[in-house]
Amino acid sequence: MIVRRIRRRILLAAMLPVSLVVLLLMAVFLYIGMGDNEDSHGQRARSMARQLAGASEYGLFSGNVGQLQGLVRVAMQESAVRSVVILNSRGEIMASGGHITYKMPARLSAQEVLDRDILRGTDLLLQPIAAEQVALNDLFDGSARASASTAPVRVLGHVMLEVTGEKLRQRQLQLLRLSVMLGLAGILLGGLLAVRLGQGVIRPVARVSRLIERIGRGEFGARAELREQDPLRDLQQALNQMAERLEVGRDELERRIAQATQELREKKEEAESATLAKSRFLAAASHDLRQPTHALGLFVTRLGQLTHDAQAIDLVANMDRAVQAMRELLDALLDISRLDAGAVPVHLQAFALNDVFDQLKAELALMAAEKGLSLRVRPCNVWVLSDPVQIHRILLNLLGNALRYTRAGSVLLACRGKGEEGSAWIEVWDTGIGIAAEHQEAIFKEFYQVDNPERERSKGLGLGLNIVQRTARLLDHRLQLCSRSGQGSRFRIELPLTAPGAMTDRRGPGRRESLDELVGLVVLVVEDDDLARAALVNLLTSWGATVAEAPGLAVALEQLQRGLQPALIISDYRLPGQEDGIQAVLRLRLAAQKEIPACLISGDTDPDLMQAAKVAGLTLMHKPVRPAKLRSLIGRLAKRS
Amino acid sequence: MLLRLRMVLAGVWLSCMVALGAHAAPSVVILSSESSAAYAETAQALTEELERGGVPRSSVLMMSTREWMDGRTQSARLYVTLGAEAAGLLAASAPGVPVLCALLPRSSFEAALLQYGRKASSQFSALFLDQPPARQLELIRLALPGVRRVGVLWGAGLSGDRSEFRTQAQAVALPLVEAEVGSEEQLFPALKHVLEGTDLLLAVPSPQIYNSRTIQNILLTSFRANVPMMAFSPAYVRAGALLAVYVTPHQVGVQAAQLARAVLQGKALPASGAYSTDFQIAVNEHVARSLGLSMDALELTRRLRLLEGRP
Repeated sequence: MIVRRIRRRILLAAMLPVSLVVLLLMAVFLYIGMGDNEDSHGQRARSMARQLAGASEYGLFSGNVGQLQGLVRVAMQESAVRSVVILNSRGEIMASGGHITYKMPARLSAQEVLDRDILRGTDLLLQPIAAEQVALNDLFDGSARASASTAPVRVLGHVMLEVTGEKLRQRQLQLLRLSVMLGLAGILLGGLLAVRLGQGVIRPVARVSRLIERIGRGEFGARAELREQDPLRDLQQALNQMAERLEVGRDELERRIAQATQELREKKEEAESATLAKSRFLAAASHDLRQPTHALGLFVTRLGQLTHDAQAIDLVANMDRAVQAMRELLDALLDISRLDAGAVPVHLQAFALNDVFDQLKAELALMAAEKGLSLRVRPCNVWVLSDPVQIHRILLNLLGNALRYTRAGSVLLACRGKGEEGSAWIEVWDTGIGIAAEHQEAIFKEFYQVDNPERERSKGLGLGLNIVQRTARLLDHRLQLCSRSGQGSRFRIELPLTAPGAMTDRRGPGRRESLDELVGLVVLVVEDDDLARAALVNLLTSWGATVAEAPGLAVALEQLQRGLQPALIISDYRLPGQEDGIQAVLRLRLAAQKEIPACLISGDTDPDLMQAAKVAGLTLMHKPVRPAKLRSLIGRLAKRS
Repeated sequence: MLLRLRMVLAGVWLSCMVALGAHAAPSVVILSSESSAAYAETAQALTEELERGGVPRSSVLMMSTREWMDGRTQSARLYVTLGAEAAGLLAASAPGVPVLCALLPRSSFEAALLQYGRKASSQFSALFLDQPPARQLELIRLALPGVRRVGVLWGAGLSGDRSEFRTQAQAVALPLVEAEVGSEEQLFPALKHVLEGTDLLLAVPSPQIYNSRTIQNILLTSFRANVPMMAFSPAYVRAGALLAVYVTPHQVGVQAAQLARAVLQGKALPASGAYSTDFQIAVNEHVARSLGLSMDALELTRRLRLLEGRP
């Protein structure tokens, strides 16, 4: 492009003066040539007329018409002569030739007259025929002064010569053609020279331009081929040096980047492996700590059943709370370490949000009641696409936090569907202490707690929100917090809406097995306390189990007789009447005539009881039963059946 | 060059004479029509010849016609005019002393006489440029003995020596074929007529016939007719005439001085004018050669002089 423009400029710069000079020369040549032609044409005509006049003198003097006619004939042979007339002194035609088309002038001048007829393109010459003067300078002339020059001219007659300018025009035309041809040849030659000379400049420029383009594209290996005669040799040499330096510089840079990248990768891998090691350590530690903690819990429970004075009772209660917190901490740590290790698989599926809500309500109703708070769950008839287990974990954490940080008032779980956006927001409201704006980001970090530098136990562990955030990120759901200090908080998470599906579609494979095992599982709950029974039934129903309930053994046996075939029996140890839970289970098994898996729930931590349960091959769970523990136990038992 | 120097010197000398001799009336006044070379030569020859004859330079006054016309007339014992204009001036003024008109053709003298109603006399006489017919005819016989008939063209008007020509021609037995030319248109027919059957065209001075415009065609015609021309002045010989007999300005001056001296000595001028006694012959050798003739001017002059009884 640039090269083409330079070529155009050079061509113009060379051609313009050449063309101007050629045109000027043409004009001068034409001007002079045509002038010369015209002059010589006129001269020729005049000299013809004069010669004719001179030759006619004696013919006129002697009145020799034949001779005059001969002269006319000779004159007519000349090209361009159209007509010739010789007149005597009286204006009478003595001889003539050619076709005379003009009118004879009335008065014949004694001077030469050239009459040009532009229309017909002819010249009419009137040439007087004067007697030739011979210088005599004679005394006899009356006076010696009467010399030839002063003597009056005597006109013997006239020659009228008509000449056509046709030949002149032809010659002018020839001249024009010649000059145009010469001019074109000159311009052509000039153009060729300009192109030839221009190439000497343009080619190196083009080479340099191409080289720069290649370097610009990043081809630092490009080098100009250096030629001896090249006018841009120095420039190309400099470009070569530049390209070389750039190449070296780039290579060096690439090498450094590769090195740095390698180092970074190594460090990252190091860090990752360190994190992994930490997570593994954490997982192992929390897992290993659970067993002694569980034992500790049992011991504390047993200790609480002994008779103590008021001070000791208080102490035992504190110990129980501490054990409970430790257990929760270990569960949370286990969750986090599993998230860290990427050991949490995601099973996206369509499920009814209400199912999760009901389950949560069942799980947390007790805790809310204990704190004197109102836990309201607003039913929601939408289906979402997500992992119900993880959503359950997120909401459990959020609701747990809300209940923990709210002293009075209520906690609300609701859902706000947005059909047009294809998503639903699950919202957790509380009327708690709220979170100041400056803490809103930090609260999602591990072990971060607002206004709890002394890490008071009752304020939680500081891991819940971290788990929530990690899980939401894992599921690719948006998590938002809206809160003001002292005015409560609202956490919400966005889930994609989906069309309602079949029940079977709701359950995915994998880790969901434990839950799946509960779906349709027929569980017989024997519990004399109405409130506890209702909570347990609620919980089991939320897991998908089909629950049959009985306040005592008699009702349970009745149900078996009516055809109930429970896959699992959960019984309270302390039942109305003589039978305890162990006996009730044995009786029911007997009635069903099969070894129905069963577990016991008890508020007692009597070692004898525990021993008895162990002997009977029944798992004993202490009240209050933690849903997760119960679920895992049921799963285990269901598998056994 | 030498001639011109001499003329200038003479002019200066004459002017001095005029200045010195203004108090005394000069014997001779030379009235010249012009100051051209021929006139100056004539005047100088005249003066020198007078001086040689005893007339001192102081008594010879040189005047131009312009000075005369300006009123500076001068009385003298004799007036010598050079040229037709000066002759005319004195013919008009009639000074009462003898007047010799020199350096003019006979026709011009006669025209001046006619114009002022005068007659040629010893008081008003002339020395003609023309050659006497006898001399011309003698020269023909001498130079071209084969000539049998001579053609002559006469101009209209004055031709004083026409009868003399005829007489002399008869005397030498050379018949003349004559023709009169009234206008220039008649020139060619007349010439044609004259050239037929003649061996020589004898040109006699007549400005109407022979002049610078016509001479070429006349010579061409005569040459085509194979008839040579004998003319009356060397200019015609240069233009193409075969030969001419004429008088030179020097010869005129000398003869005029001789006549003037005679007047001063109490003699009279020739009453009817005089022809020049001396003469010269010019021959165009190119023309002679083309006509197959061989003649020598000096030899012819010598022989003609001998015939006239002169040394």
